[in-house]
Amino acid sequence: MSIHTKTAIESIKRSPFQAISAIFVLTLTFFVATTVAILVYASNQSLNYFETRPQIISFLKNDASQETITALQGKLSQDARIKDVKYVPKEEALEIYKKATEDNPLLSELVSPSIFPASLEFSVVDLDLAENVIEEVKKEAIVDEVGFTANIGGEKSLGDVVERLKNVSSYIRIGGIVFVAALALTSFLVLLVIVSMRMTTRKGEIEILSLIGATPAFVRSPIVIEGLIYAITGVMLGWSLSLILWLYVSAPILGYFGQIPVLPREPLSFFMLFLIILGIELAVGLVIALTGSLLAVKRSLKK
Amino acid sequence: MIQFENVTKSFGSIKALDNVSFEVEDGEFVFLTGPSGAGKTSILKLILRDMVADSGKVLFDKNDLAELSIKDVPKLRQQMGIVFQDFKVLSERTVSENVEVALAVSEVPEDEWNARVSHVLKLVGLDKRAKLFPAQLSGGELQRVSLARALVVNPKIILADEPTGNLDWKTAEGIMELLEKINKEGKTIIMATHHEGIIRHGKHRVIKVEDGKIIKN
Repeated sequence: MSIHTKTAIESIKRSPFQAISAIFVLTLTFFVATTVAILVYASNQSLNYFETRPQIISFLKNDASQETITALQGKLSQDARIKDVKYVPKEEALEIYKKATEDNPLLSELVSPSIFPASLEFSVVDLDLAENVIEEVKKEAIVDEVGFTANIGGEKSLGDVVERLKNVSSYIRIGGIVFVAALALTSFLVLLVIVSMRMTTRKGEIEILSLIGATPAFVRSPIVIEGLIYAITGVMLGWSLSLILWLYVSAPILGYFGQIPVLPREPLSFFMLFLIILGIELAVGLVIALTGSLLAVKRSLKK
Repeated sequence: MIQFENVTKSFGSIKALDNVSFEVEDGEFVFLTGPSGAGKTSILKLILRDMVADSGKVLFDKNDLAELSIKDVPKLRQQMGIVFQDFKVLSERTVSENVEVALAVSEVPEDEWNARVSHVLKLVGLDKRAKLFPAQLSGGELQRVSLARALVVNPKIILADEPTGNLDWKTAEGIMELLEKINKEGKTIIMATHHEGIIRHGKHRVIKVEDGKIIKN
């Protein structure tokens, strides 16, 4: 162990409450940062899900012939604004209904395939085009009605659904960033104060070191190492606590959201996501520690 | 090794040094003496480049210290060993750690530390006290720690500012014996003191300073 690391550890041992304060604030910051990062990821995932799944269903009239249906399917497939066109016959529609009502078999027994219309389902490449496409498809002779699949709060149009999701997503992102930035600033200031206090208590030692030929880098190394120890410990604790929290709640969350992949289902992808966040947080933590401690050292040495 | 050429240094209206000139050769033992406030510490601080002369030149190995950049000051100080009246040992470190700090500062490889620290602690008679903290040592022992720290880096010169000032006569004599021994090994020593007994006992060159002027050399 280098003499600087030894000095830094001794310094932490000598003033444990200062060390605990710094680590506590940094832990809190990185716990919230990890949690917010996962929330932002989940909101992006759900937005992405709704943006990419088949969004528009055109229910066909009962008397539509197979030829006219195939013709319309071909026409829609050739439209550059439309993608993933799929024909759902009455039988398949019934199967989907049965699957959706399998908890209550009586409901499926009461219906026959004839009451479910065949449909053409498709997505649009850009949701802004959805309204126009819907209006055009409505005018087709064999189309009875056109609807959209996502309807989460009584919205009247697909645009409203996506707009609502985008709003929720951006509120989480902006709110999260502001909150995390405020906490990061607090961590930075706490580090600044603690390092300044360290410099004051080490004033005599710094004077002696300087007289026996210590370079400024030699004087500041233990202080910077101390800051780095706080940052790395804070990041690891905050991240670990958040990981434990998400491991605990991920199963009920995934169950609640069903098909919407708000969190990675595969354990490997789940941990990869957390490892990426850890990497970013370590980089941010190191920047906070380095700038905070170097700034405090520079100010103290100037005095 | 050290040359002062018409050096003047003032603090406001007070002239700490007034047109001071002298030379110290390699291997010399020189006493700087005079009453408190005469300018002895100012001379040592100028050699250490802790301050710069207002006029005149201070040369160390023929290099003008005023021209030395701040960045190069640590390198200059690493060639010197300093012993202070108030010992200036690091209270949170053991005796051996206090000595090791000087080696770390001078970037001596760590694998040489043990041998050098043991050798120098034996030389000053503190080999049995290596693991003790300064609070557990007497004044004389603390001064020996300070001396060991100065010697361990094998400096070209030792600057001692009243090293016996806080010690009783017997302990002071012990420190002086050590300094004599080190001088006999070829080290240059400049020692500021106003202790007449020490000066008489030492029988070395004396530079007497009074009111910032050299009155006897």
